[in-house]
Amino acid sequence: MERDKIIAQYERGTHLLGKAASLITLILLIGAPFAIGGYLGAMPDVNAAARGFAAVGLVWTVSSVVEFLVYTPMLGSGGSYLAFITGNLINMKIPCAVNARDLAGVKAGTKENEIVSTLSIAVSSLVTILVLAAGVLLLQPLQPLLQSATLRPAFDNVVPALFGALAYKYYRKNLKLAVWPLMMMSALFLLIPSLQSQTSILILPSGALAILLAWLKFRKEKKQA
Amino acid sequence: MEILDQLSSPTMYLICGAIVFFVAAVCVVFAVRAWRAGKAIGMDTAVLRRVVTSSASFSVLPAVGILLGVVALSGALGIPWPWLRLSVIGALHYETQVAEGAAEQVGIHLSGSEMTAGAFSTIALLMSVCIMWGMLLNLFLNKKYTNRLARPAGKSGIASFGDEAMTAMFIGLVSAYLGSYLGQWISGNGRFTFSGNAVPLCTVLCAAAMMALVTFIAERRRLKWLEDVSLALSMLFGMTCAVLLQRLM
Repeated sequence: MERDKIIAQYERGTHLLGKAASLITLILLIGAPFAIGGYLGAMPDVNAAARGFAAVGLVWTVSSVVEFLVYTPMLGSGGSYLAFITGNLINMKIPCAVNARDLAGVKAGTKENEIVSTLSIAVSSLVTILVLAAGVLLLQPLQPLLQSATLRPAFDNVVPALFGALAYKYYRKNLKLAVWPLMMMSALFLLIPSLQSQTSILILPSGALAILLAWLKFRKEKKQA
Repeated sequence: MEILDQLSSPTMYLICGAIVFFVAAVCVVFAVRAWRAGKAIGMDTAVLRRVVTSSASFSVLPAVGILLGVVALSGALGIPWPWLRLSVIGALHYETQVAEGAAEQVGIHLSGSEMTAGAFSTIALLMSVCIMWGMLLNLFLNKKYTNRLARPAGKSGIASFGDEAMTAMFIGLVSAYLGSYLGQWISGNGRFTFSGNAVPLCTVLCAAAMMALVTFIAERRRLKWLEDVSLALSMLFGMTCAVLLQRLM
């Protein structure tokens, strides 16, 4: 009973804080270009921005909707508010939260998972903010290192390194589940190379296939039990 | 004052820094609340501590990668704005594309030599508008959506399937990226030419091999701390291999 009370109170606070933080961040982010425009003496051209939105923004709008639908169940409410405020979801927040969930041994959809994912995303965001702040402060001395042609491939391949490590971790426990989405995606990218630029959208069919296969397996096991 | 000097002036740092500071404060509040709630419902402090250390160690390398995005954009947009964008809400793969698209719309190329004050403020507005939808959806739908997901299981037992579904979704996500790396190599320069960039795929394989080795040692010797840093170690190894492979290829 006490636990239910604590959780209900925590959830109420999370939604309240999450909504307030999202709203304030939105206002700050949309307001910043105007504040900067005021400082520079040249306000944003809203018509050009609208044209630009039609040209480049619509794809990202679709991608944002997909991200919201897919990642919110993984992250829970608190993690989701925070992840969408701090960004870098695919290359950082999602893997970080999933990894933390595994280490903590909690299951998706539980309150423990909600807490673990919120904590992991908050820590990950703070580390990113600190690294970027330190990097910006030290940009001058770090410039040769960061722009070194020798090290360039390392930074260009952060995401492949991340997904390689995670692929081993997840595939070894779910090999049968992983085979079909991997084959389907590989076939698509081999046959239609232009899809390379749409990888983030293709997560949806790949994930849907994996979920379908998991559901069939789940039902089969339930019937046998 | 030149435009790039203006874009990296103390006023710009003040505007952008204040927003970064606000978001950092939000993160601290969420972290403290989650920690306290975890303890209050009886979660082990050691588990919570592991979550913190593994998340922190994991995040350093990708953060350095993100810093490169700041460096890349700073040539055209100054330092404070890319710093803000990549600290808050932005995504590494998104910012450059949108900034370039926005520059096109205001009739310039994304470079310091062509940048004007008007072009900059328009580009900045477009960069903010294009990526705000996730936050907007959260603002209006997070509560409804998460409450719906948390409904108790019906006869189908669909709620108890939640954990498997999330693992499956993640496998789908990883598979999409792995497929794209394979495609990049085999069909990157034309269908089945095997002449595309093989470095991402090789990096995947190296990081996976390292993960296998580290996991084996951690499980065999029951080393929890090694498990906590396994992802960071594997990534570091994969990235080192990428440097070596690029030199060989």
